[in-house]
Amino acid sequence: MDGYLISQIVNGLCLGLIYALIALGVAVIIGIVGFATFTQGEIVMIGAYSSYYVFLWSGNNLIYGMIASFMITWIIGMILYKVCYAKFFDSPEYISLICTIGFSMLLKNLAQIFFGAEKKPMLNIIENRIYHLGIIEVSRVQIMVLVTVLIMVTILSILFTGTSWGLKLKAVSQNREAAALVGINVDKTAMIGNCIGCAIAGVAGTLIGIYYQSAYATMGATLSMKAFTSATLGGLTSVPLAALGGILIGVTENIGIAFSSASFRDIFSFGFLIIMLIFKPTGFRRKRGARA
Amino acid sequence: MRKKIAALLIMSLSLMSLAGCGAEDSAVPEPESTAQTKAADGSDNAEKTIKFGVIAPLTGTHAEYGQGFDAATQIAVEDINAAGGVNGYKLELECQDSAADAKTSSDIFTRYAEDDEIMAVIGDFTSSCCKANAPLTEEYGLVQISPTASDPSYASMSEYCFSVMYNQSTAAPWTAESVVGHFLGKSECAVMYLNTDWGITTNDYFLSGLDSAGIKLLGDESYTENETDFSSVISKLKATGADTLVILDQGNVPTIINQVKGSGWDCQIVSLGPGASDQILDLCGDNAEGLVIPCPSYITADNPDTSDFYKKFYDKNQCAPTDHSLCAYNAVQALTEAIKSIDGEVTRESIKDALKDVSYDGLAGHTQFNDDGGVSRDLLIIQVENGGYVVKEKYGYR
Repeated sequence: MDGYLISQIVNGLCLGLIYALIALGVAVIIGIVGFATFTQGEIVMIGAYSSYYVFLWSGNNLIYGMIASFMITWIIGMILYKVCYAKFFDSPEYISLICTIGFSMLLKNLAQIFFGAEKKPMLNIIENRIYHLGIIEVSRVQIMVLVTVLIMVTILSILFTGTSWGLKLKAVSQNREAAALVGINVDKTAMIGNCIGCAIAGVAGTLIGIYYQSAYATMGATLSMKAFTSATLGGLTSVPLAALGGILIGVTENIGIAFSSASFRDIFSFGFLIIMLIFKPTGFRRKRGARA
Repeated sequence: MRKKIAALLIMSLSLMSLAGCGAEDSAVPEPESTAQTKAADGSDNAEKTIKFGVIAPLTGTHAEYGQGFDAATQIAVEDINAAGGVNGYKLELECQDSAADAKTSSDIFTRYAEDDEIMAVIGDFTSSCCKANAPLTEEYGLVQISPTASDPSYASMSEYCFSVMYNQSTAAPWTAESVVGHFLGKSECAVMYLNTDWGITTNDYFLSGLDSAGIKLLGDESYTENETDFSSVISKLKATGADTLVILDQGNVPTIINQVKGSGWDCQIVSLGPGASDQILDLCGDNAEGLVIPCPSYITADNPDTSDFYKKFYDKNQCAPTDHSLCAYNAVQALTEAIKSIDGEVTRESIKDALKDVSYDGLAGHTQFNDDGGVSRDLLIIQVENGGYVVKEKYGYR
C-alpha cells in the first residue's frame, strides 16, 4: 500500500472520528429517549460558539471552553427535551422527529441573528504540531479527537453497564411503563439521557471548532446527517458501534475520493449506508433496535 | 376557565378589529405609487421614490459578501439621497437573503418582479443564482444587475442581465499566465475549485490560461459548496508534488488555507475569487502569510478615492469592504446613472435601455457595459505580508 493511500485512510479515520463524536450523542439519545433526533448538528454548533466566547474571555483555556460547551448544551438539552419529547411519548414518533427538525432550524437561525452569519476564528487553541509515524502524518488535534472518542466510549459504556444509574437509563430505554412501576422517575431519567447526548455533542462542537479553526451557524448541517448515518450503521442505539459506524463512513468517503473526486463524497457515504442496510438491516447489531 | 376563554375571545376580537382598522386605514390613502405612475405626471417630485430590490446571501458560506452587499447598497442609496436623489427621485432599497441558494434566489426575484414598486434588482452574489434568475428577468421584463457574477455566460443570457464584475473568460487566464507564470515564476501548479457553474467555468478558463502559458497542471480537483473537510483533496494534490496551489472559490478559502497549512503542506497559495477579504486574515492568522490574490480593487482607509466609502462601510459592517462590496455600490451607481439619462417615464424597460448606454467613472473605476451586459476591469496583484494586504503589482501588469 503506497503512502498516498495510507494518508487518505488516516484522513478518513480522522474525519470518521469527527462523525463518531457526534454519533455518540445520537446513539445515547435514541437509546434512552427512544426518539430520533436531527438537532445534533446545531447542538454541535452551540457547543462550538460557547467555547469560542469562553476562549475569548479566558485566553484560549481549553478546559474552561469544554466545561462551558458541556454546561450550555446540557441546558439546551433540557429545553429540547421539554419542547420536542416530553409531551409526545404517546404520540406517533414522527411528531417528535419533526419537532427536532424545527428546533434545529430555530437554533440555526437564532445563532445567525445573535452571533452573526460570518465565521468566528478559533485559531491557535492547540498548537498545530504534526507528528510523523513513518509515512503517516497526524496532527495534535487529530490525536486529541481520537483520545476524546475513546474516553467517551469508555465512560459511556461503564456508565450504562456498570452503574445503578446506568441501569436506570437502560431500564427507561427498554420499557418506560415497567421502569415506572419499579419506582424510576421515567421523565427525569429520560431527560438526563437526552442532556448527556446533547452535552457530548457540545464537547464535540468544541473539538470540531478547534479542528476546523472556526465556528459558524451552519457548521452542523452536513455533520448532523453524517452522524445520524453513523448511528444507523451502528444499529441506532449502541455507543461503541455508532463510533465504529462514524469511522467506517469517514474511511469509505476518503478512499472513494482517493480514486475519484471530492464532489462525490456523499455518494460514497450514503451509498455505503444503503448497501449495508440492504444486506444487514440492523446495522452492525445482531438485533434491530436493541438497546445500549 | 369560562372567564379566561371569554377574556381571550374579547382580546382576539379586539385585535382582529384593530387589524381590520389598520388594513382599512392603509387602503384609504392613495396607494404608494410606483415610480412609473409618478414619473408620468411630472409633479410632486420631492415625494417620489424609486425602489430597488437587493438579493444577497446574508447567511451561509458567503454571508460575509452578502452582508457587504447589504451595507454597500445602503451606503450608495444614502449618498445619492443625501445629494438630492436622482432626477428628483429618492432611492429606496429592500434586501432579502438568498443564502446563495438558486431556488431561494429565484423565489425572491419572482416576489420582487411581482411587486410593481421594484424597478430593478441588484444581486445575486453567485453566478449560479444569477443564472437561475436570468429567464425570470426576460419573463417579467425586470433588470438584474449583479455586482459579482463573473461567469462569462451569465450576462449574455438575457438583455435584462448585467454584471459590474470582471469576466472570468479574461480574469482566469490572466491569473494563470500573469500571476502564476510571471509574477510567481512557477512552471507547474495544482488547482482546487468549487463544483458550481462559476467554479467549473472559471476552472476551464484557468486551465486554458495554464495551457497557453506552458504551465504544467499537476492536479485539478473539485468539491461541493457545503464541504467542510478538505483533507482528502489536499492529500491528493499534495501527493502530486506541486509547490503552488490555486484555489478557485470565495467563502471556503479561509477553511481551505487553514487545512492546507494544518496538513503540513508548505506551498504557495493563490486564490482567485475572494478578493482582499478581512475574513481571510481573521480566520487564517499566520496561515494566510504569502497568499496571493488577484483583485480588481483594494479599498483602504488611506486611499483618497475610497476612504469615505471605507469609513462608512466599516461603521456599518465592522469590517473592511472587499471589491465585492464596492461592486454592489457600483451597481447602485450604474442604475442611478441610467435613471439620470432617462428623459421621460422611468420604467423597468427604460432602465434596461438606459443601462446599455451608461458610461461613467465611479468608485470601482470606469463602468461601461459591453454588448453582453458585462464590463471589463483591470486587476491588481495583492499579497498577504505581516498580517495585512500589500499591493504587489498595480493595474496594467502584463
